[in-house]
Amino acid sequence: MQTRVSRLTLLAFLGPAVAALLAVGIVPLLYAAWKSLHDFNLTRLAQQRFVGLDNYAAVLTDASFWAALGRTALLFGIAVPVQVALGLLIALTLHRPGLSAFKALTRLSLVLPMATTYAVVGLLAQVMLNQKYGVVNQMLGWIGIDAINFIGDPTNAFVAVVLWDIWQWTPFVALILLAGLSTVPPEIEEAARLETKSDRAILRHVQLPYLVPSLVAILILRTADTLKLFDMPFTMTRGGPGSATEFIAILIERTGNRQFDIGLAAAQSILMLALTILLARLYIRVFYREV
Amino acid sequence: MAATDMAPGRSRWGEGLLLAAIALFCVFPFYWMVTTSLKTQVVALADPPVWWFTPTLANYAEVLFEDRVGVALVNSLIVAVFTTALAVALGCPAAYALARFEFRGKRDLWFWFITNRFVSPVVLAFPVFLISREVGLRDTHLALILMYLTFCLPIVIWICTDQFRSVPRELDEAALLEGASQWRIFRSIALPLAMPGVAVSAILSFIFAWNELLFAYILAPNRAKTAPAMAVTFMEGYDVPFGKIMATSTLIVIPVLIFALLASRHLVRGLTMGAVK
Amino acid sequence: MKTTTQASVLALAAASALTAGPAAAWTLEEAAAPYAGTEIEVLFLDRPGYAAAIEMLPEFEAATGITVNYTTVPYENALGEQVRDFVAGGDLDIALIDLVWIGNFAENGWIVPIETFTSDPALADPDLDMADFFPLVVDAFGSWNGVTYGLPFDNYSGLLFYNRCMLEEAGFTEPPATWQEVMDTYGPALTKDGRYAFALQSKRNETQSADSFARFLWPFGGSFLNAEFRSNLNSPESQAGLQFRQDLMAFMPEGIVAYDHAEVVNALAQGDVAFITEWSAFYSTLKDPETSTIVDCLGVAPEPEGPAGRKPALGGFSLAVASQADEAEQAAAWLFIQWVTSKANAGRYLELGGVPARQSAYADPALAERFTFIPALVESWQEGVPEFRPRFAEWPTITEIVQEYGTRMMLGEVTVEEGARAIGERMEAVLEEAGYYDGRKPLAQ
Repeated sequence: MQTRVSRLTLLAFLGPAVAALLAVGIVPLLYAAWKSLHDFNLTRLAQQRFVGLDNYAAVLTDASFWAALGRTALLFGIAVPVQVALGLLIALTLHRPGLSAFKALTRLSLVLPMATTYAVVGLLAQVMLNQKYGVVNQMLGWIGIDAINFIGDPTNAFVAVVLWDIWQWTPFVALILLAGLSTVPPEIEEAARLETKSDRAILRHVQLPYLVPSLVAILILRTADTLKLFDMPFTMTRGGPGSATEFIAILIERTGNRQFDIGLAAAQSILMLALTILLARLYIRVFYREV
Repeated sequence: MAATDMAPGRSRWGEGLLLAAIALFCVFPFYWMVTTSLKTQVVALADPPVWWFTPTLANYAEVLFEDRVGVALVNSLIVAVFTTALAVALGCPAAYALARFEFRGKRDLWFWFITNRFVSPVVLAFPVFLISREVGLRDTHLALILMYLTFCLPIVIWICTDQFRSVPRELDEAALLEGASQWRIFRSIALPLAMPGVAVSAILSFIFAWNELLFAYILAPNRAKTAPAMAVTFMEGYDVPFGKIMATSTLIVIPVLIFALLASRHLVRGLTMGAVK
Repeated sequence: MKTTTQASVLALAAASALTAGPAAAWTLEEAAAPYAGTEIEVLFLDRPGYAAAIEMLPEFEAATGITVNYTTVPYENALGEQVRDFVAGGDLDIALIDLVWIGNFAENGWIVPIETFTSDPALADPDLDMADFFPLVVDAFGSWNGVTYGLPFDNYSGLLFYNRCMLEEAGFTEPPATWQEVMDTYGPALTKDGRYAFALQSKRNETQSADSFARFLWPFGGSFLNAEFRSNLNSPESQAGLQFRQDLMAFMPEGIVAYDHAEVVNALAQGDVAFITEWSAFYSTLKDPETSTIVDCLGVAPEPEGPAGRKPALGGFSLAVASQADEAEQAAAWLFIQWVTSKANAGRYLELGGVPARQSAYADPALAERFTFIPALVESWQEGVPEFRPRFAEWPTITEIVQEYGTRMMLGEVTVEEGARAIGERMEAVLEEAGYYDGRKPLAQ
């Protein structure tokens, strides 16, 4: 099926891309690994020295590192199920026939949150969730709830990040599930509808099996993206108040940009990278059996 | 859902309302962003917030010219366009090779390309900062363009690979019989047919490059500063100028929103790297 | 260290007096002539003093032909940007030095001592008059280990800004003179009906270390380090101060840990709190009808005293020449720094909203009527502590520790004692590693 070609041809087609990615992807990684074995602080450059695995030991015994990972995991654990539930609701609604103009419009509006610059979402959050001048508190007031201090209270700030994550990614989940729903062969679905009026039964027995690949994709991608999460909490609270919204990427940035301890930041990054690679392997194992 | 038990007319209404709610949920923050950007500081700091007011374009004027957001937008444009161009130029041939050729290590190469999408910029940011200082590329557009390849090139590759696979092989074989080289086939037959996929991957690459923050923040603090990095400037200051912040935000977000709407059908495919069509 | 710095300051003053003389009068235009067309880069903050300097720029540029390119960054990014710039051999020609960064910058060799320029008759303004600067300010912001690197540019003292009307409503004719008064009478009387007596900016960044944490150490007789450079945070005085801060939170708005300068100043300006202890720079914001509703009710006084006396918060920035600049840029940079902080320009700087550190600028009694913060400021600068926050090179690492545990204390996540102990241990670990305890480094802060 596939053509066998000469080495030269292979090099011509693949070479440039591979070379580019090697240069910008692998080289810095090796440099990071190398630096992670040193005590390397930008404000004490003259005193840099090789320390072997000391940085890694420091990271693995650092309570704030684990706390940051824990917070990241917690965000994932709360946000993603909600995204899936809401996403499913939206997908099922869009899947039903009829009102197609309305549905097309809705589908367009779903695209907006996903594509928004994440840094801007954080700023939006600051303005909309402001305790005195924020529109969210105004609307809460309409239904009789007192103004909530979102940005200033540790728990509320975390909740705010969760809510904005849900806002930004539920559409993504919904569209993936919608695509999954459309893989259900129409004959089967029609036949099932003739047998039962219960949507819930149809969901469980007919549609769910076809949704499994989508759910797996969602799971893995959201995990990877949550590990990467930086822009939105950074511009919203910079990891505060205290360290309430300090997720793993924010912690690493702080180590490098505020403490200037590049060696330590490199060690943290490499550990995070290991986790990431595991996820990528999983994703590929599931989805790209034939390449 | 109870809707199916109701008469068709009623369920239509219920559904319509639900759809409207969903759309509103997605769109409301943007509405608020734009309206706040048209408020003066005094109006923006009204407690409770006002919904009707006289709009002003003063924030935009100030932000574009005095605060140099205009320059940042241009920088973003330059970086995003060149990254996309480079990603497409490098990625299309590679995608064609992955779609058509058989060779050893194909699996591993594929794995490597995919992994790049999963890697967090924070892992690369500091080492790249140190390297850029050695190579003299600090605070240049080139540095950003190169670094953005780490996530733009994979996107182009996997969308285009998919696209090339769907180009009929008979055309290749016919051309081969006439003595055409692989490159000829690629350029004259496959590429034109794969244009839709290439276009989509270009749009997605542009969106991701435009939105990127961390690399820009660390590598390009001044001359090559991009628009999202400008957002950081407004994070903290002695005043918090709501109107200007929202004006900057609006300006930053408009290009990607437009592109996203253009490519909306394919956005999901791009974000899941073809795993979900 | 104070004496050696004063000695060197006097020596410099004497030297400049000697080099001036009957020779042709030094003018800025002449001195700048060889450097016309040079462009110099500097970071500015979004604060009144910088806005004032920006307004003065055209005059400098017209007289010298030197262009000053400034980039405005948030304070929280300023250190990172400069460190990265200096490490990577970037473009900055002038270093903007917060008083806590001076040790760091000096030890890394990133800034040039002013003597390089003051001893050059072509560049040194005979009117420089170092003695005219408040000694405390030059010492704290611009000097390290006896060498002066920078001239004070954006200068602050902590001041008590209060809402006279709110106080009068509650029956007070004077602002609080001591912290104990705040706790015992002012606090309870003014915290009611959704309004609070006091707001202390405590956000988890430098604000927490400088404004919140340090403010309740020194007036209570505490300090970060003792004479042997070991942690002094668990001393009875330090503990008393930190515990006092905890108790005082009863009279502050909730969520105070998220309040940075903007929020606290706004709280006073909108009439939500009765008084704040903030940097003098905010005077202009509070006096501006566009941003403040209490323009006519604003009162300014020195910060309240603690049991150990009045130790107001000390902060500010000096401008120094960056060593990475080439010769022409260094000269041009020096000329700018010298000009913008000069005696001649101090009055104008003050008018435009800046706070100069020139004693002569405040000599005119009439000014005190127009700028009500002046008497309090002058008084505060007589009594301040240069090591309000230790300024050694390790401060960036240590401030992160203080910020983390300081906010955790306020959030109730750790007790005052535990938190202080945690900071102390980590602080000592950093100092040990840096070589302060085995004699590799002198005990300078």
